[in-house]
Amino acid sequence: MGKVWVIASNTFREALRKKTLYILLVVALVAIGTSRFFSFLAAQDELKMIKDVSFATIEFFGAILAIFTAIGAVSGEIEKKTIYTLLSKPITRRNFILGKFVGQSLIILLNAVLISLFFIGLLISKKAVPDIEIYKSLLLIYVELLMIGSITLAVATFATDAFNIIFSFFLFIVGNLTVYFKQLVDRTENIVFKGLGEMVRTVIPNYENFNIRDQVVVGVSVSWKYIGQTTLYGLIYITIAVLIGIYFFQKREV
Amino acid sequence: MPLLKVTDLSKVFYLGRNRKVVALNKVNFEVEDGEIFGILGPNGSGKTTCLKLLLGILFPTEGEIDIMGKSQFDVEAKEKIGFLPENPYYYEYLTGAEVLSFYGRLFGMSKGLIKDRTEYLLKLVNLQDTGKLSLRHYSKGMLERIGLASSLINDPKILILDEPTTGLDPIGCKETRDLLIKLKEAGKTILLSSHFLSEVERVCSRIAIFHRGNLLTTGVLADLLNQYQAENLEDLFVKTIETFDSAAEKEKSETAAVQ
Repeated sequence: MGKVWVIASNTFREALRKKTLYILLVVALVAIGTSRFFSFLAAQDELKMIKDVSFATIEFFGAILAIFTAIGAVSGEIEKKTIYTLLSKPITRRNFILGKFVGQSLIILLNAVLISLFFIGLLISKKAVPDIEIYKSLLLIYVELLMIGSITLAVATFATDAFNIIFSFFLFIVGNLTVYFKQLVDRTENIVFKGLGEMVRTVIPNYENFNIRDQVVVGVSVSWKYIGQTTLYGLIYITIAVLIGIYFFQKREV
Repeated sequence: MPLLKVTDLSKVFYLGRNRKVVALNKVNFEVEDGEIFGILGPNGSGKTTCLKLLLGILFPTEGEIDIMGKSQFDVEAKEKIGFLPENPYYYEYLTGAEVLSFYGRLFGMSKGLIKDRTEYLLKLVNLQDTGKLSLRHYSKGMLERIGLASSLINDPKILILDEPTTGLDPIGCKETRDLLIKLKEAGKTILLSSHFLSEVERVCSRIAIFHRGNLLTTGVLADLLNQYQAENLEDLFVKTIETFDSAAEKEKSETAAVQ
């Protein structure tokens, strides 16, 4: 674990030095900060609008950060040739991928926590007490971001950056539209397409499971059982993705 | 018993369905304890590929590597190796001391030991006054020197250096050569890859000449000069390469004639 932590802390430190984190952070804070102005346009009250926009912002900008950090974690080391000095040291390739995953998870956490603090501060300034449901939603969004990061990291071990960016954003969009995909599969009468559709639906990460903001915004409570099951679902995906990343990186020549 | 033994080592890169490049072709050599072994060859001769294979960065197509009784992928073997890549690239936001600390931690060294080694090595490579200067402000020569220091952080038994004097001025080159000799006297085994013939001639106990992925010859320099009736290393280098090229050309034309 010691060597994994050394790589993780260096990955975290490197990400802190990049402008990506700060640009995303500023844009996200501006988006949340201006959300209350949109309440004049929408027929919803201000607090609902702030909550809705904030959850969407944390998820969307977190996804961008997760994708770019994961891609940079592998290809950045290869492009800068720092990988040669790293792999010549007494670390295994498994240590490398695990370290990268832990490091990127920390930077995603830092980003999510900073935006969340701003969001909660905004709620408090509006004299609204943030209830436990808000934290449940934030937890699920973080697990979703870890999933996105781990899948991108796994793909980065064998694919080009361009392919990975397209693939990861495609998966992010499709993973958030699984309900429509299910409806499409259900309506299909062709057995072959139905079977294929079911298979694809099973493999594609269902990011929609992590979206409980509609309930939270209108004040509906989400059970801890659902939170637990969804978190477990995410952790299983993350484990599989990291294992795939380790498998391919062990075979990769740099 | 040799510290490092390479047996029938080959590396083929497949660049598509019908294209392949033989970067290394059944190479055999041994490096003895306490010697400076020089790997010579023109650009593209397979020197760096050979070093990457020794470090487990690339996977051999064929052949075996034995480092003190261990495989090149074994973490225990890597603990005893120091490596300086050609044109070393490091995390440019770190200071020299932070780079050494980072690599020291990867070796599982204690904080106290890292601190002591860092002070000693920065002084050794004459970078003790760089203080909080990050690597992005380092000159090429300074980067080469911090690379050399980082390759020594674990006090390695075997030191693998890929073109260690690239980018150094004449004084820097001399200092590096002197350092290599000092390290040899301290019992280190050094594998030095270079295309600077004078550098190799001055410090190496034995040499190996690579060309087009083949190991043309290996041995003690004086013996090789005698064997090839060469006046100096440059003469030996040219003669071995020309002999190989003319033999290869002859074989090619004979094959074409048969077809």
